[in-house]
Amino acid sequence: MNQKIKLPLQIAGFALAFLLAGQVMAASFLGEGFEKFFKEKIRFGGFVENITGLSVGQEHFQFSTSPRFVMNRFTFQPETNINFHRRVKLFISWRFVVEPRYSMETKIRRRSVAPAGSGGSLPGDFYNETKGVPWEAVLDLSPSDNLQIRLGRQFISWGETDGLRILDVINPRDNTMFAPAAPNVFTLDETRIPQWGLRMWYTVRPVSNTIFEFFANPGFDPKKKRVDDISPGNDIGDGKADGDARFGRWSAQAETRVPLGRLFANPIPGNAPVVIPLTRREYPNAGDNWKIGARFTHNIGALNFGLGYIWGFNPQGLDAVFKVKGNPFPLGPNTGVRLRLLNDRTSIFAGHFNYPLGTYYGIPVKTALRGELAFYPSKPFNISKFPGPTGLRAGPDPKYSDGIVERNNLRYSLGFDRTTFIPFLHPDDPWRAFRMSFQIFQSVILGHKDGIRNFFNAGRINKVQTALTFRVNTGYLGDTIIPDFFILYEPLGNWVINPAVSYAPPWNERIKVSLVAAIYNGTKFTGFTGFFTQKDTVFLKLRYQF
Amino acid sequence: MKSIVKDQVSIAVRSTLYALRFTVFGLLLGLILLVSQPLKIQAAEGDLKPGDIIGPNNWQKIKDMVGPNFLKRVKQGYTFQIKESKKFKPPREYVEATEKYSGGVKLASNGYLENYVLGLPFAKLDPNDPQAGEKLAWNFYWRWLGDNYKTGGATKTGQIIRYAIEKNGDERRSDLVTYTIFPHTRYMLDPKPVLPGYEHIDWMQLRVVGYPRDSAGVSTFGIRYTDPDKADDLYIYIPAIRRIRRGTTTQRCQTLAPSEFNLDDINSFNGKVTNFNYKFLGEKKVLTNFTEEGLPFRRKKGDYLPLDEKWEVQDVYVLEITPKDPSYCYPRKVLWIDKTTWESTWTLVWDKKGDLWKEQFAFRTPVKLPDGREVWSVATVVIVNVQNGRSTVLTAVRAHNRDYPPSLWSLATMQRMMRGGSVE
Repeated sequence: MNQKIKLPLQIAGFALAFLLAGQVMAASFLGEGFEKFFKEKIRFGGFVENITGLSVGQEHFQFSTSPRFVMNRFTFQPETNINFHRRVKLFISWRFVVEPRYSMETKIRRRSVAPAGSGGSLPGDFYNETKGVPWEAVLDLSPSDNLQIRLGRQFISWGETDGLRILDVINPRDNTMFAPAAPNVFTLDETRIPQWGLRMWYTVRPVSNTIFEFFANPGFDPKKKRVDDISPGNDIGDGKADGDARFGRWSAQAETRVPLGRLFANPIPGNAPVVIPLTRREYPNAGDNWKIGARFTHNIGALNFGLGYIWGFNPQGLDAVFKVKGNPFPLGPNTGVRLRLLNDRTSIFAGHFNYPLGTYYGIPVKTALRGELAFYPSKPFNISKFPGPTGLRAGPDPKYSDGIVERNNLRYSLGFDRTTFIPFLHPDDPWRAFRMSFQIFQSVILGHKDGIRNFFNAGRINKVQTALTFRVNTGYLGDTIIPDFFILYEPLGNWVINPAVSYAPPWNERIKVSLVAAIYNGTKFTGFTGFFTQKDTVFLKLRYQF
Repeated sequence: MKSIVKDQVSIAVRSTLYALRFTVFGLLLGLILLVSQPLKIQAAEGDLKPGDIIGPNNWQKIKDMVGPNFLKRVKQGYTFQIKESKKFKPPREYVEATEKYSGGVKLASNGYLENYVLGLPFAKLDPNDPQAGEKLAWNFYWRWLGDNYKTGGATKTGQIIRYAIEKNGDERRSDLVTYTIFPHTRYMLDPKPVLPGYEHIDWMQLRVVGYPRDSAGVSTFGIRYTDPDKADDLYIYIPAIRRIRRGTTTQRCQTLAPSEFNLDDINSFNGKVTNFNYKFLGEKKVLTNFTEEGLPFRRKKGDYLPLDEKWEVQDVYVLEITPKDPSYCYPRKVLWIDKTTWESTWTLVWDKKGDLWKEQFAFRTPVKLPDGREVWSVATVVIVNVQNGRSTVLTAVRAHNRDYPPSLWSLATMQRMMRGGSVE
């Protein structure tokens, strides 16, 4: 972030904290007017939380996985709302995180395979967030009744999905600290990375929810976060040009990762690999990191829909593509090849809709239908030829010497939300509904090529990839016991189960205790959840809101 | 011996005849009284006057004037004082609209309202009218509520304060605020009487939770359409995922946990009028409070009863509501509707077995319109689930006829919701 902006903001933040803390003092020397303003126009809130994660996955012959702590994350997040005027409002929050790194984690991360030097241990304070930069800081302006403008560090979320994202790709997501496809561990809001930008809504016609929206994010964010959420490879390089990769908590274990270049390895056991990939992440310049977009939403009868467009750097880790740069070169007895992250300037044509289904021919459907769609024209993918020449597992595709092919990619989801009564499962209150949600996700590569692979695990990307999710939750005993169950299934045979049960005591609305599990299954070479098979973890969350 | 027996028999016969005479006389008197007092549910309110203290020793005075569960609490020791009854007057514009338009309003045989424009649909209720129940229900639906209002807007904190109370007295607090607009029944704010483009909408309501923090920012946006066959629309904004979700409003019975309300309990009765059957059960006097002073009233922690508030006598209509859908949660609901404000003072619900299930009472309080005129507003509402022992107390004083633009009720407002923030 631009230092010229950073320092004054920090100062402003601490000054605000001082003002908030010194209410009485301020009132005494600033007068009753300030006290009235403070009481009526300023709201203070937030939470403190501690999350402990215990790995319970099966052991692997190459390392000991469980049981061991994988997380003890303490978060303090104060938030302030200042309502200066009905047309001018400020929201500002900070997030402070402290999390130790455990020695077992360090030892495991030190083990690595070639190339030597990779798999370096995490810095001890890698997960800490203590710098005092505002987490969110937005100034809301309403120049007119129909025009709203939001400036500042913010989240912009499009889309209708839960658990997985299709259109919710404007803000990057930090995959270094959370379990993938497990919305009961961290919500999307807790894992998204806020970005500086401008967002604007113009309500053309309120009665039909005809709204025009525009956003522009210049991308003034730390380098590490710009290229964001690399998953599952989780190359969390710190921007130094030393070529070392550092694997975050949710990386697949180093020993089980198969970088694309490894596919070029000599299959004869005992022989040195033929090709050593040197992977270097060169972060795009700030000027390359812009994202802008616009959309139009409208109601036709009960149908609500939107059409939009996003242009800019695609921050999604699973879409990260590495390009072969230059020619192979001798590297000791082997061959080296340079792979550089492709700065994916992408277009996304976006659409969404939602519609409530009622009763048809006497059948009470009573379900909310929703869907979203993202079309990526000429999206780059990594491609190799399988098998490779002279017995190699894989090799460069002769048609695509830089390892990249561009294809149109269509991603969409359809969701069904229903509340239903299951009295025999709810003797406490038969009219306390179960909220259920079913989603289907698909990604279709038009003009698919067989050699298209995910870079990080060299897993095949099929022409059509499908994932199904189901979620159900309810509340017992006056919503003091709140179970929530989420499951994701890929027809390839991978699945994630993410159950949670929370306790909210009836004597204090500020406290919440949750027990959550994230259990993964599958093969690491297919889909993306299979990659985390050894990442089964149980979490205990203790939260106090204020 | 024979004469003694004969005397005893004679005494017995005379006693029996004497008793029988009084019995017959009593029966005849009762019959005369019954016939001469059509549809009036008598209550023992005649003895009540301001200053009276009601408690376990004289609960009989208020029998039939309060709900059964409340009466039980009085018998168990709850005491309160009677005060002067407050008489509100509906706003002049509402009265004028009633005079102008109510004559043309008709009720179709299927219960649908025809030719309704503004004001009270049926200014005169004939107890002998077979559709008296439906007409009373429509009068309740179209009672004066302002052109718009912010519920919570006139409380000390500017929000609705809600406490969910467990059977053992544990309490959890939640704060929220609602903004409601009636776009085609506007009496005072321009444009009158209808916002162009909104002729098909009866009301829209935006509801925003303010506390506790994890719920703060959760918002719902509901729309009730004029077409009786069109289901309500509902959008829900969830801050944890920053998404607006479409909800279905057809599950009217779902508990709005941790409160004891469901969707149709809001404002005592929030269902679509045409989905129910109605029966006019008569008129009576009840105890309520139209000038609540403590907002919220003082009470013992863990209990829902007011400690300092006084109660007053008001005249009500009694309306019985039964669902057309046999699977609906409430087989029977009764409202005691005030004759002047057409607001519900008491609401009683019975389950399928005929046992009392929920009891609700609602206080009112005077508030001022922006031009200074006095009107009424809901104040504190209490709902008690008699069967599970849980209760909910919420204080929800309204500020009417605010300067809100129609764009407040749109999805753009939800998209910019911030936790703990205000939308106005």
